Amino acid sequence: MDIKKAVGVYHRNLLIAIGALLAVFIAIPMIVKTPYIINIFVLVFYISTMSMAWNILGGMTGQNSLGLAAYMGIGAYTVCLVVTKLNWNPWAVSILAMLVTAFIAGVIFFPCFILQGPYFTLVSIAFAESMRQFIINSEFFGRASGVGLPFGPDSFLQFRFTSKVPYYYAGLIMMIAVYAIMKKIDNTKIGYALKTIREDEDAAAAIGINPTKYKVIAVVISAMVAGFVGFFYASYIRYIDPDLMVQAKSTEFVLPAVVGGAAFVEGPLVGGLIMIPLSEFLRANYARVLPGINMIMYAIVLLVVIRFRPSGILGWYMESKFKKFIDEKILKKPSLDVLEQYELMNYGSRKEA
Amino acid sequence: MEDKPIIEVTGLTKRFKGLTAVNDVSFTVRKGGITGMIGPNGAGKSTTFNMICGYYPPTEGKIFYNGEDITNKRAYEYTNMKIARTFQIMKPLKNLTVLDNVIASCYFGHSAAKNRHEAMERAIEVLKFTGLYEKRHVLSKEMGTPDQKRLEMARALATKPEVLFLDENMAGLNPTETAEAIALIRKINESGVTILLIEHIMQAVVSLCEKVIVLHHGEKIAEGTPEEVMNDPYVMEVYLGKKEEQQ
Ligand SMILES: Nc1ncnc2c1ncn2[C@@H]1O[C@H](COP(=O)(O)OP(=O)(O)OP(=O)(O)O)[C@@H](O)[C@H]1O
Ligand SMILES: [Mg+2]
Repeated sequence: MDIKKAVGVYHRNLLIAIGALLAVFIAIPMIVKTPYIINIFVLVFYISTMSMAWNILGGMTGQNSLGLAAYMGIGAYTVCLVVTKLNWNPWAVSILAMLVTAFIAGVIFFPCFILQGPYFTLVSIAFAESMRQFIINSEFFGRASGVGLPFGPDSFLQFRFTSKVPYYYAGLIMMIAVYAIMKKIDNTKIGYALKTIREDEDAAAAIGINPTKYKVIAVVISAMVAGFVGFFYASYIRYIDPDLMVQAKSTEFVLPAVVGGAAFVEGPLVGGLIMIPLSEFLRANYARVLPGINMIMYAIVLLVVIRFRPSGILGWYMESKFKKFIDEKILKKPSLDVLEQYELMNYGSRKEA
Repeated sequence: MEDKPIIEVTGLTKRFKGLTAVNDVSFTVRKGGITGMIGPNGAGKSTTFNMICGYYPPTEGKIFYNGEDITNKRAYEYTNMKIARTFQIMKPLKNLTVLDNVIASCYFGHSAAKNRHEAMERAIEVLKFTGLYEKRHVLSKEMGTPDQKRLEMARALATKPEVLFLDENMAGLNPTETAEAIALIRKINESGVTILLIEHIMQAVVSLCEKVIVLHHGEKIAEGTPEEVMNDPYVMEVYLGKKEEQQ
């Protein structure tokens, strides 16, 4: 009973904290009216989501993919082409976009899993580049000039708005939904399989995990998220071209996860919230003096994090006194033993019911 | 009592390029027993295990499990067949806690846990059984050799095996830890698990095994009860010869 009470208090505090954070994000567009700032938040939402897509491969499975922009591009192109040529509803096409990226990831990319470590990374780069070249050389895909979505009056059904605010909320929901999915995966069979593969493929096989099968699952999940972000991006920007799939874009999606902490599901969110506004700030203020300043900063931050804090901001936080203070004094988090007993107890009561 | 062997290997051979690591080895493992495999360094013991457990395809020979030919099974299919193994060079999931290491195992194999509660319950049971319960929240990379060896066993046991392969599970342990490990292996065996173990520590082999297979330069040179193989002139020569080299 004591355990239930203690855990109950903790869960309630956690809920309040999450609710407060959510309230802040919901309130931002009501207070901040500048489209420029709203745009930065939209960037934070979709780039962080892409970074979560990277993280299930790079962080959880230990397979560093540097070709994620290609999947986002495939999703975006699917949406633009099917909406303009077949006149389908964009929301329906978003599902198609995920299926197409899943198919391409699962079937075409499948042989790449014979390759390990840096070879996998190299092939992911080559794959993305060949997708881009294919599109540049294809009339159907609009060659280098790209394709657009029809303009028109605001419409939720068309996912088309003049204001950036609806995209802000849609992006926020997308990011939270993907986070919830990733959090769920992290705690279930698939997550354990992926983490075991990351630590040691032989050990994984020894307990009955087929490494190839689970790596394909990870790639497909990652690609589907990227495909959906492609839909979001195309609907937001309303015009896409093959530049969407350049190498630099893929690299951009790695940084939030690595800076935030690739071992944590929350890593891409924490990293994204810090790095993207910083990058935008530098670009806006110094790009004229020093073109590419934000990319230089990206490189430096990446090097510094990998050299001094490979576990990222959250890795630092987890060991810090600050976390201890928050857990003990504010959230009133019970000890691990108590939480564990609670989990086991919960099972007992459910079995009886 | 002509029990059918649970594991039977015939003519097992492994050649790496020019080197024949294992040459025409045949033996059987009795269901419910503890069988030992000894031999000097480089004798081919681990290679034999790796073939039986699906890590290396044998160059020649066959492997039978309960009479079924499993020669072509892949390593990841073994826990579904109720066979589990440990590694000579420990492979802990370094960045996961001891508890998570074992929970991962609970999700796979023939009686895989269906949900987190079930996985957790079994993991805790296995951790208590192997004496790692107190350390369950430690990252596995932060533990010493004895505990990592235990963790190897815990991870294998969490898949609920019927047959367990242990590759030098006592190497690097001090006498007290060795005694504990012997007791643990006996306990596992008494719970109904057939065990095949590779071991250099003779005390362990003598006290645990009902049958011992001796490998030398990839060939089986003797087989029998611990006393029988210890008194085999060739085995004595191999081991005494090894002692002289070391001096
Ligand atoms: N993957 C491999 N490629 C090439 N040679 C190998 C390979 N694995 C093992 N060998 C060689 O096969 C021989 C037998 O090795 P193995 O590991 O089976 O010996 P072992 O009996 O387990 O020895 P130890 O007691 O030292 O563990 C050795 O000469 C080793 O160098
Ligand atoms: Mg060996």
